[in-house]
This record gives sequence, C-alpha cells and structure tokens, in this order.
Amino acid sequence: MSRSLLIISRQAPWSGPTARETLDIALAGGAFDLPIAMLFLDDGVLQLAPGQKPQNVQQKDLTANLQALPMFGVESLYACSLSLQQRGLTDTSLAVEHLDDAGLRDLISRYDQVITF
Amino acid sequence: MTTLHVISSSPFSDNRLSSCLRLLGHGDGLLLCGDGTYAAQPGTSHAEALRALGEGIALFALDEDLEARGLPSADWLQQIDYPGFVALAVRFDKVNSWL
Repeated sequence: MSRSLLIISRQAPWSGPTARETLDIALAGGAFDLPIAMLFLDDGVLQLAPGQKPQNVQQKDLTANLQALPMFGVESLYACSLSLQQRGLTDTSLAVEHLDDAGLRDLISRYDQVITF
Repeated sequence: MTTLHVISSSPFSDNRLSSCLRLLGHGDGLLLCGDGTYAAQPGTSHAEALRALGEGIALFALDEDLEARGLPSADWLQQIDYPGFVALAVRFDKVNSWL
C-alpha cells in the first residue's frame, strides 16, 4: 500500500514556475496511482480564479492542468476557505472542497506525508 | 498523526509562519531554522504569537541559526542542534517543510 501524500500549493499562478511545477508533481504522482490530495492555501487559491487570460503575460494556461487532476486520479482537492474569502474568490474554475482551519488541521493529520510549495 | 512543521523563511517577508500557526494541531511541533528563527525576536508580534500557542504545541529552533543572528534564547523555545533535528524528524509521524 502506497503512503498517502498531501501536496499544499500556496503560490500564485503567474509569479514564477512554482505553481505549475507543483501541479506537475501531483499529475505525475496521480499517473502512477499514488494516493495524492492537493490543498490550495494562501495565494495558491488564486490558481483557481475563473476567467484568467495568462496569454496576456506570455504564460501557458494552468486551467487545463488543473482540470486534468481528476482525470489523473487526483480527486481529493481542497481549498482553504479563509484564503478564498480574503482574496474575494466566491467562484472557482475547479470543484474543490472548502475547509476551515479545523478542517485543514484534520486533513494534514490524516495524510502520511505532507509537502508544501 | 503528528506533524513537525519546518519554517526557514523570515516571518517578516511572507506569511508562511502565520498560515502554519493556523494549521497546527495538538501534538504537532514547529521548528524554526534559517531566517525562520527571526520569529523568535523578542518584542515582535511573531514571538508573541508563538508564546501564545500553549502546551499542546512543541516549539524548536536550530541553535546555530539563532546564534548566527544574535537572537537570544527563550524559555518557550527548545534549542536544538542538527542531531536534535534528526531526532525530531524521527519522533514526529511526518515532516512538513514549508518550501
């Protein structure tokens, strides 16, 4: 039985390569059938904002990578409700479960391994 | 399962520490290293927030990083060396490095 892994992504989508590379790790793990979950925290929730036009800043669209997560078996997707609320996001481009602080503590406790980017 | 959270960036330049404090659960630990040790600077809001965590959370800092920055020891912070770091990594169920 593989050890479960929670990946916490807390970088804004276009500030550097980190957000994309974090998604790549999740997708690669999912392709190998590893039990992986993703949590979007802090500026990481900005990846979920609808209606982004990354071509305006010469970036590739992350939305396709995000939508691919469930197809690659990464179906446990969470976002911090406070981070969403602080950034004025009521609508997200990907279906994620919203968690309060108690929910976040419980999530982190449940997984065998946790890594934060 | 218990988690050892490791923070190595200054709390004055980003919000890793404040987010981490919200996620700490009973039995978890927090290790400050590198510029993360600036959170122990007396008289700052970060040091106050750490002191206010209470009994259920164990606080650690790498001794040499504190000393390198001229930061004083504090009774609410356990100072450890690198072998101590390894021992902590084994003691907790998992380690979450806030990269």
